[in-house]
Amino acid sequence: MNILRRFLIYTVVLTLTITTVSCGGRATNQVSSLSTPPAQRANPSQNRLNDGQYPVQQATYNDADGEYTVMLLNTKPGDSSAYRTTNLQMAQLTDEEVSKGQQSYLKLENNQASMHIQKDFKIDYVHNVTEEQANPQTGQTERVVVRQESSFWSPFAGALAGQVVGNLLFRPQYYVPPIYQSGGIFGYGGYGNSYNQAVNVYQQRYQAPPAAVRNRQTVRSTSNLRTPNLRTPSTSTQRRTTSPGSSGRSTGSGYGTNTLRRSNSPSQSRPSRSGFGSGSRSRSSGRRR
Amino acid sequence: MSSLADRFNQMTGRTRFVVFRLFLHLAGEEVAPLLGVLNSSARQALEADGDIQIFGEGLAEVCQSLLQYDVYWQSAANEGNIFWDEGEAGDFVEELFTDSAQRYHSGIEVEGLDSSEDVLSLPITQNLIVMLIVAYEGEMPALETDLSDISALKNALKSLTNLHYQDRLRALQVHFSPAQLGDELTSDQLLLHFPELIPL
Repeated sequence: MNILRRFLIYTVVLTLTITTVSCGGRATNQVSSLSTPPAQRANPSQNRLNDGQYPVQQATYNDADGEYTVMLLNTKPGDSSAYRTTNLQMAQLTDEEVSKGQQSYLKLENNQASMHIQKDFKIDYVHNVTEEQANPQTGQTERVVVRQESSFWSPFAGALAGQVVGNLLFRPQYYVPPIYQSGGIFGYGGYGNSYNQAVNVYQQRYQAPPAAVRNRQTVRSTSNLRTPNLRTPSTSTQRRTTSPGSSGRSTGSGYGTNTLRRSNSPSQSRPSRSGFGSGSRSRSSGRRR
Repeated sequence: MSSLADRFNQMTGRTRFVVFRLFLHLAGEEVAPLLGVLNSSARQALEADGDIQIFGEGLAEVCQSLLQYDVYWQSAANEGNIFWDEGEAGDFVEELFTDSAQRYHSGIEVEGLDSSEDVLSLPITQNLIVMLIVAYEGEMPALETDLSDISALKNALKSLTNLHYQDRLRALQVHFSPAQLGDELTSDQLLLHFPELIPL
């Protein structure tokens, strides 16, 4: 009886160990691969900071790409004191914190940064004046930065800040600056729990996307569309399929717009997962020629 | 394994991005009028300078015209990928543009003015291929399957239109070949440059 009981105990212990190890291994694997945020992956050489709170010396916002550069104090020796990210939440210091004499600080938690700042904190705002210029070489119009202007942005000062009810201001949220004015901007153009939500609020207010989002947008088109009047079919009616330059291809046109961020990673990491589609079948039937 | 990772990502509240590409090949002499629809929506979109709303309206128009020409559908193919990282999805969209654009000839053509005798009739193309590439947020089961089937394809084109009205499109591209009335796409070129196509 005693032997049987002991045997049972050992069996249960062994089974539990095996199941824990085999299931737990995968789970921890996933957590580690998922916890790297996109911003971190973009600049692997920068932002090697441990979680914690760092006093903020100065913050800069660049409206060309929506990137914040936060200068920090008390970072460990060897770590960079500049924290660069496009993924920054902001919150106002609560009255309690202010009365305790708490200065503005940046909080890093699971690689998510949130900046807690005083009501009159001024973020340096770098405004890029852009212009549409036709590239003389390709004939395509592109947006070019003509000059940069420097101003400041105070997200929580001014009348607009009062519109957000109650405690919302003190919770870290995403903010988008309002339309640029020289001489300082107060308040915000949009806010939300996610960056896209903030952009949507901005878009509803101004009927246009913020500069950082607009600059991220790329419009691509193949050249037949950009020059629609170069050939008019009514006057030249040769068969074009036999033109020597086309190397066996027919003519075509394409255009597209892309509002997604780019990863900016130097190495192309192709997704290992094949996804969905008719691809598996076409590989066998695609050889029909 | 992948579904487990999907579920985990969903639980942690990350945004799901899907990049989707559809090839649709139409055959028949009556398909040429579609080129007019495609070109006019292309011009409208390019004038809007990247406004995804205007692009989306163009896409909805293209999808509707394609649905009306369903009798001429000859073959189709689709592919796509699911991303949990916006940067990777954005890169993949740009890759797909490059890949789609190299399947046809898009340079400015130098035409010899003294070439063959001018004829007064235009050659009418027998084939027309349309490539639609979209990136959207969230899930759309009608698109994330094998679309080499007429009824699935009809549903997919309707879903593409709906995506625009649900404001979930983040990127979109339309490619078509031949470029305009008077150009031809032969069956040989089709086989050579679009080997994915599966007869419907």
